[in-house]
Amino acid sequence: MAVTHPLDPYLRVDRIPTMWCPGCGLGIALGAILRAIDRRIEEGLLKKENIAFVGGIGCTARMTLYPYFDSAHVIHGRAIPFAIAVKVVKPEMKMVIVGGDGDIAAIGGNHLLHALKRNADLLVIMVNNMTYGMTGGQLAPTTPRGLYTTTTPYGNPERELNVIKLAAALGANYVARSSITHPQLLERTIYKALAKRGLAFVEVLSTCPEIFGRHIGLRNPVDLYMELKKKVTVKTNPSIEESDYDWGRGFVIGEFVDRDEPGFLDTYREYISKSFGGGAV
Amino acid sequence: MKLSTPAATLIKTKSSKYAINVITERCKECGICVAVCPTKVLARGDSRNRRGYRYVVPAYPDKCIGCKMCEYSCPDFAIFVEAG
Repeated sequence: MAVTHPLDPYLRVDRIPTMWCPGCGLGIALGAILRAIDRRIEEGLLKKENIAFVGGIGCTARMTLYPYFDSAHVIHGRAIPFAIAVKVVKPEMKMVIVGGDGDIAAIGGNHLLHALKRNADLLVIMVNNMTYGMTGGQLAPTTPRGLYTTTTPYGNPERELNVIKLAAALGANYVARSSITHPQLLERTIYKALAKRGLAFVEVLSTCPEIFGRHIGLRNPVDLYMELKKKVTVKTNPSIEESDYDWGRGFVIGEFVDRDEPGFLDTYREYISKSFGGGAV
Repeated sequence: MKLSTPAATLIKTKSSKYAINVITERCKECGICVAVCPTKVLARGDSRNRRGYRYVVPAYPDKCIGCKMCEYSCPDFAIFVEAG
């Protein structure tokens, strides 16, 4: 083919079409990530051979199979420790961790806490479809209260987990929420996050029409997309108290935290040079 | 059984200013591009691709303003807009 998609140089085209259901928001998120990486490569900040995608288990973690970069598909929830190990051995690598809300906030939740505490030099992209999509739509910690899922046929009685507040409380350098209904904004958020040292955490609100939408009467991909678009509010420089995450009140997206504190590697280098008199590492 | 690749997988529709390209074999008929287009350029098609999805067609290419919302919102990298 003479004419190809502009993102084809970054895709393993023999694996396209993806395994995701029609209308899944993950493809939109992947497109935005690749466009942001493309801009950073053209600026000379990143090199194509120095980018690695790491994912655990789940629909989102399957995202590691499609970009034409180094990638690892590891055990459930353990993408962050794997990525920290690679980063410590090869500090020139840019580690991009992609995972769903089940992979990063639920099963890998403890690893997320400690990576945030260390301010490890990673980019964590959590694509939040508010359910466990791959295993059949069970209740996730991020499912908003009152919604129907496969395992809560009378509505979800529990409070939802707002991962943005968690990430801000534990001191990540960059905490932002974005949505696949605003693809240009999502691209700009990831573009900015790629240049940060320390931990950059980006939550991406996404849609799951096939598994999540069918229980709440939004089985059509366009209906769920438009419903999410209605609920999303964009704010410039919102405070962390404004990070609403509620199906009734809606979702607030924007950059909640943006600071520049030394990351995991910088802190370790400083201590090593202090202890060994400099120049040792 | 190995499926044969159809000869034409790319539909290129040119208007005066923009070329709207649809890679038909990648389309999954989700309809998001049709919904997000601000000027309603795209429409659901009638012909099917190899996987049985009725791919989207640019029905009114002259209305295109080149905003690329369809390209950015396509989950399957099936549609892209070029200038000229």
